[in-house]
Amino acid sequence: MDRSIAVWVGAAVALVVLIALPLGWLGWLSVSGEHGTTLAHYRDAFTDPALQRALWNTVVLAFWVGLVSVAIGAPLAWLTARTDVPGRGLIRGLVLASFVTPPFLGAFAWVMLAGPNAGILNTFWRSVTGADAPLLNIFTMPGLVFVVSIYTFPYVYIMVANTLALIASDLEEAAAILGAGRLAVARTVTLPMVLPALASGFILAVLQALALFGSPAILALPAGFHTVTTQIWSLFQFPPKVEQAAAFSVPLLLATALLLDIQKRLLGRRGYAAVGGKGGQRRIIALGRWRWPALAACLVVMSGAIFLPYGVLAKGAFSRAWAQPLSRDNLTLANFAFTFFEYGSTRAAIVNTLELAVLTACIGAAMVALLSYVTNRRLVVGHQLVAFLVLAPVVVPGVVLAVGLFIAYTRPPFVLYGTLWILFLAYLTKEMPVGYAQADATFRAIPADLEDAGRVLGAGRLRILKEITAPLAKSGIIAAWCFIFIGVIRELSASILLFTPSTKVMSVVIFDLKEEGQFGAISVLGLVMLGLTFATVALVQAALGRDVLGARR
Amino acid sequence: MPDVILKGLSKRYGDVGAVNDLSLEMKPGELLALLGPSGCGKTTTLRLVAGFLTPEAGEIWVGDRCLSSPTAVVPPERRRMAMIFQSYALWPHMTVAQNVAYGLRFKPGIARSDRDARVREMLRVVQLAGYEHRYPGELSGGQQQRVAVARALVVEPEILLLDEPLSNLDANLREEMRFEIRRLHETFGITTLYVTHDQSEAMVISDRIAVLQAGRVAQVGTADDLYHRPRTRFVAEFIGRTNVVDGVATSFDAVAHGALRLHVAPGGLQPGTRVALSIRPHQVQLSAPVEGAEGANTFRGTVRRAAFLGDTIDYEIAIAGSDLVLRAAAAPTPRFEVGAAVVLRVAPGACVPLGDGD
Repeated sequence: MDRSIAVWVGAAVALVVLIALPLGWLGWLSVSGEHGTTLAHYRDAFTDPALQRALWNTVVLAFWVGLVSVAIGAPLAWLTARTDVPGRGLIRGLVLASFVTPPFLGAFAWVMLAGPNAGILNTFWRSVTGADAPLLNIFTMPGLVFVVSIYTFPYVYIMVANTLALIASDLEEAAAILGAGRLAVARTVTLPMVLPALASGFILAVLQALALFGSPAILALPAGFHTVTTQIWSLFQFPPKVEQAAAFSVPLLLATALLLDIQKRLLGRRGYAAVGGKGGQRRIIALGRWRWPALAACLVVMSGAIFLPYGVLAKGAFSRAWAQPLSRDNLTLANFAFTFFEYGSTRAAIVNTLELAVLTACIGAAMVALLSYVTNRRLVVGHQLVAFLVLAPVVVPGVVLAVGLFIAYTRPPFVLYGTLWILFLAYLTKEMPVGYAQADATFRAIPADLEDAGRVLGAGRLRILKEITAPLAKSGIIAAWCFIFIGVIRELSASILLFTPSTKVMSVVIFDLKEEGQFGAISVLGLVMLGLTFATVALVQAALGRDVLGARR
Repeated sequence: MPDVILKGLSKRYGDVGAVNDLSLEMKPGELLALLGPSGCGKTTTLRLVAGFLTPEAGEIWVGDRCLSSPTAVVPPERRRMAMIFQSYALWPHMTVAQNVAYGLRFKPGIARSDRDARVREMLRVVQLAGYEHRYPGELSGGQQQRVAVARALVVEPEILLLDEPLSNLDANLREEMRFEIRRLHETFGITTLYVTHDQSEAMVISDRIAVLQAGRVAQVGTADDLYHRPRTRFVAEFIGRTNVVDGVATSFDAVAHGALRLHVAPGGLQPGTRVALSIRPHQVQLSAPVEGAEGANTFRGTVRRAAFLGDTIDYEIAIAGSDLVLRAAAAPTPRFEVGAAVVLRVAPGACVPLGDGD
């Protein structure tokens, strides 16, 4: 019992600092006026035509991103999970690459590819056809939907691929032998069983699009329209209208919570694989002459997400003029020199980012390891509540969290604004659910029997923890560390509201460089960020012995 | 009811021949069990019959329709068969009634109202009336099994295929379902192919049993045939327990194992050839040693081990003057203790010569 109290006090303090304080202030400020509580901020926010348009734009963006993500992610998942399409490992690897690519980097790359004037694809189009008009204009709503979707579809892919992996081929064969043709089997058996996963993937994609700041800031602002996140950001620009921003954040928070609740219900409705005993092999469908066309289609999608953007970033990093052909004259290392030695804030930002990433990952991994151990082994009273609270930040979009943290920590008792600590709190809060999910899965996979067997033989609980649990959990906790680390180095939507000139991080510097049109330096920093990300992903894969996307293998 | 003929079927997985020149005939309305250890090709054979696999050689005929050949395979949905899977393969997103009604959607000329009536009737037959609106996840293993049976039978298939349908049930339920499946077979009389690795299941359920070994049929026959007249060592050892005595034929009705001579029922033994004999433990008669206990197939021995099994006692007996150890299953009385001297007697008809097959 005393142990329970200690854990509870610690968890309560952490949760107050991380969630209750910022969100409490957010809610309070959104209704506080000079003479007591008021709904004036909400009225201001939702009657302002500009804000209404931003709201509508966000709805349109999120809906289309959801649809396009399903249209890309579901067929890819089916192809790699169930058919003999060549290069399944490669496709899975590329989906993973798209999953970990910071979306704002992709957006920059697509500005270089499909900007109406200098975009490489448009220049190429003009030189081939002699036309004046550009082929593509990325600064449009469809352009934005496209760029967001190519980095969001992995959410659908993961849901669908992992579900397909659970559906035994028996279920489809049982329909076939009763007289159902291929289409009938797909319509009556496969699709209905995948539908909850499909819908929940759709919701996850919508949530991504709702919370995203970077891509809309890069593509929508030049096009002359706002989304909710960019609107909140601009309310923070001088002169800041914090109360209005708070009022505008609340609906985003509620929408996220609502959608996540729906998603959870969808998945919890009926167990899929729970029916029947063993058996349940998954057989591969032969595509016959469609094998190679299917691979080609996958690669076309992946060229949009990976090959073209990565290529143009590499080109931008190594050339004097990124829009010009890659000739010997155009090759240079000057961008690297500029980025690392001449441009003022880069080196400090890289150091800040790495410091924050390592600190957040270490403290975060330790916290989630402790909490998930405590909840899994049911060591305290009310362990379900602990789990719920740790996962709660999932419903808080980065921008909203940042607004809350800004309000909470620019005033006594804790004045953290202007220090790295406020960024640390933001990152820790934001990455906690991901880390916790990973740590929880790790401890879940270690049966308590293994520990009990040691205790029966005479070892104490601490000794068991050290000699049995820790070695078994090590790789899973390393993976949690890596997930948090990756999350931090790519974070933009909270950082953009919380940084000060002395506390810039890499993503913020990239964003600044855009204002100055420094595409070479953006490319260099982008490559650094991708390099860090992929090195960490490689570490995860080595630790877990499987790829990051699925529960399988 | 058509008959089913498998002619010289072969199917390889990589370098491994799962089914190897397998031939088999099923009579109309017969329940035939495919019995064999894991990896003998029984499930592959079933999947070939169902049309999920294409044979590399051979043909499958049902009545006058050739359903499978290396060049043309009628797809599963047009074979007019039904199948019960090891996993039951119930669709978790459909209710019991929807699961059972599924196959009727694809049968022409069945009105919706008729469909419902048939589903209700079939659920009554498998004793699941009242469960129409449950989901499979809400049923016990045995109930899921019954839904799978109902779903297969309601379409009145020409051929019914079962793939180890009882292996996921616990022992008591399994016993019960054996008789249940036999009862349903007798009610509906559908030509049925039943895959199992459990010999007692095969013996209870089937009209005939085909024992499979390494992708081939080792022997086909009734349970009685296979038990009393096994043709190979494999069949003798797979169906029930047995003693196998290796020896050399000394005449057309006698076999020598070292100094022992065993007489068999007069038959076609070739003097001088190696031959193995199968002797079922319960056909070894034991008695206390008395003077003058001599005669054909009578030996002296010593009890090495005895295990009380309730209705019988399982003995291991070392034969005097030989390295041979025989197992005997005898009535609980008279009881012989370990170390006791006994006399064994085996009727010549109970010594069954096995063919050359190993």
